[in-house]
Parts: sequence; structure tokens; C-alpha cells
Amino acid sequence: MKHQDQSITLNVIARAPFEVYYEGDAKSVSAINAVGPFDILPGHADFFSILSEGDVIIETGSNPVTFSVTNGIITVRDDQVMLFANM
Amino acid sequence: MRRASAIEKETEQIVTVEGLTNVFESIASTQVARVKNKVELSKEFFQLLWQRYTSLRVDPGARITSRNADSERTKTAFIVISAEAGLSGDIDLRLIENMLQSYDPKTTDVIVLGSHGAQQLQQRSVPYTHFFKVPETDSYIDVSPVIEGIKSYAKVVVYYEEYVSLGVQDIKTIDLISTIREMSEDADEDVMTAEDTIFEPSLDEIAEQMEETMMMMALSQTILESGLAQAASRFNAMALAKKRASEMISDYRLEFHRAKRSESDRRLREVMVSLKGKRKRQGVRR
Repeated sequence: MKHQDQSITLNVIARAPFEVYYEGDAKSVSAINAVGPFDILPGHADFFSILSEGDVIIETGSNPVTFSVTNGIITVRDDQVMLFANM
Repeated sequence: MRRASAIEKETEQIVTVEGLTNVFESIASTQVARVKNKVELSKEFFQLLWQRYTSLRVDPGARITSRNADSERTKTAFIVISAEAGLSGDIDLRLIENMLQSYDPKTTDVIVLGSHGAQQLQQRSVPYTHFFKVPETDSYIDVSPVIEGIKSYAKVVVYYEEYVSLGVQDIKTIDLISTIREMSEDADEDVMTAEDTIFEPSLDEIAEQMEETMMMMALSQTILESGLAQAASRFNAMALAKKRASEMISDYRLEFHRAKRSESDRRLREVMVSLKGKRKRQGVRR
């Protein structure tokens, strides 16, 4: 488990084929997969998962970005989160 | 020389055609602008997804393209993505001709998307195993029935139309299975393995779903790209038809004025002749 530093943020790219939901820094990303709801915070281990239907919440520090997904894929690598939704 | 009234009637018809081509040209232009933006967004999305997909490594034996082994596994499928309607210039014709250069009825099955392509194939007596309608939409369509239909083939080649610019549209081919497989194997992206990455569900399950997703995305992308190329081709065809109609209107108007003058000259000649005759008859009486 990597040590969590408050100054470190995630770099998030959240997109659908024809829509950019969010691109930029974020404090956390919350979504749902087959196991259940989960949160991605800075320092999270590398992660690759298939998303289940539900809401995705990206905490940006000011206004959280929320959108619904019917399907999708989320990957985390070195604090870079890529979320591909509604394919 | 034809009568001026007949020329005038034909000119009116061509003016109507010119007006219609103008409307179709405007519609195509709007469609190009709208779809182009979506194609660009979708391309970026696909590239990002590809980048992640290529970081996965799985046993090739477990691949989607290695399953469903049956007698058809030696055959090749050609997927032809054409327009749903006509009025898109010669692009579908070029597409079919391009496909036919590699077509061998003994080893190849043709799957056609779009009524215009199906019509072109029927005219050439080329049979196709499946036909799918392409809705007039600038969104992704559900390609799962197509993907389901191609799983049993050893090779799947997609023939589609690519938008290069408003004036240029090319015919492209992509070997769907090989491209998905080879790009995954030759990728520069660092490999994500079960040793350093958490996979939920398992790596194999994710890889299997990703492969199907990537094939669907690649096919959807080519359909969207074809739609853009068809709209651009339609725009060019309509612009050309409008130019031709304008030229014809000028020619017809010239011919109309000549016919008018000729008719007026003829009437004048007739009046002169009749006047001369009248004078002659009067002179005889005197």
C-alpha cells in the first residue's frame, strides 16, 4: 500500500465516446463495480476494473462532477485515472 | 430549332433541380460539420481506450477470435460499410469495386451494412450472407449482432469510407481481428500484470470483455467515419450537380433567347411577306 500524501492529487480523464465528463486534477473518484462501491484516492494501487451501472462521483475540491454510467472501464496507474463510460 | 416555350418549360425544371441540389448541399454541409466534431471526439476516446487495452497481456489461446471453432473458421468475412441512401456520389461504387478486387466467393462471405451497398452488390450478382441497416444517426449504433456474426471467421476485413477532407474521401480496409491482436502485442504501453495491478474481475475476464469492446468500438468507429465520408461525398456530388444545373440554365437561357429572336424574326418575315403580297395584289388591281 502506497503512502498517502494530502498534497498529491489524482489526474483524471473521464470520457464517453462523444462526451468529456472531466479532465484534470481530482481528490477522489467514486464508482461501482461487480464487487461493490469503491473510492480511488491518491496513492491507490494500480487498478483495472469493469464498471457496473451507477453514478460516478469525481471530487475536484470545488464542485463535484457526477454522471451516470451504464457500463465502463476504469484504470488507475501512478495516480492517473482513466474512466471510459457508456461504450 | 426548338420552340421558345418548350425551352422555357425545361429551364424551369432545371431551376427546380438547381434549388433542390442547393438544399441537399446545405443539408450535407450541416451534417459534415456536426458529425466531424463527434468523429474527432470519438477518435480521441478510442485512442485513450486503446492505450489502456494494449497494456493488457493475455494468452492468445483464450482470445475471442480463437473460440467458436467450427467449419467456417477457415473462411474470411468482408464487412462492407456503405450508405443507407443514395445521393452520395460515387463513393459506394468505389467501395464495392475495391472490395471485389479481393473477393473470392469460395473463401469469402460478404456482410453488408447499408441499403445502397446491398443494392450495388445485387446489381453485380454478388451474394451477401448478412445485411444490416445503418440508421441515419451520428451516434454509435449497436454493432453486437454484427460482432456475433463474425466470431466464427478466421479473418474479418472491414471495407469503409474515410474522410480525409471535404474534397477527398478514401476507401480504407482494416483487418479487424489481426489489428486488435497485433496492436495489443506490439504496444509501447507498459504491461499491466496481475502481479502489480488489481484486476476486478480477473485479468482473463477483463481481457475477454475488453477484446469484444475494442472490436465493437473499432467497428462503430468505422461506421461513424463512413457516415462522415458519405456526407462529404454527398456534399461534393450536390455541389457538382448544382454547378452543372447552373451551367445548363445559362445554356438554356441563351437557347431560349435565340429561339425567341428566331420566332420573332420569322413572324416579322411572315408579316413582311404578307404585306408584300398585299401590296402586289393592290398594285395589280390598280
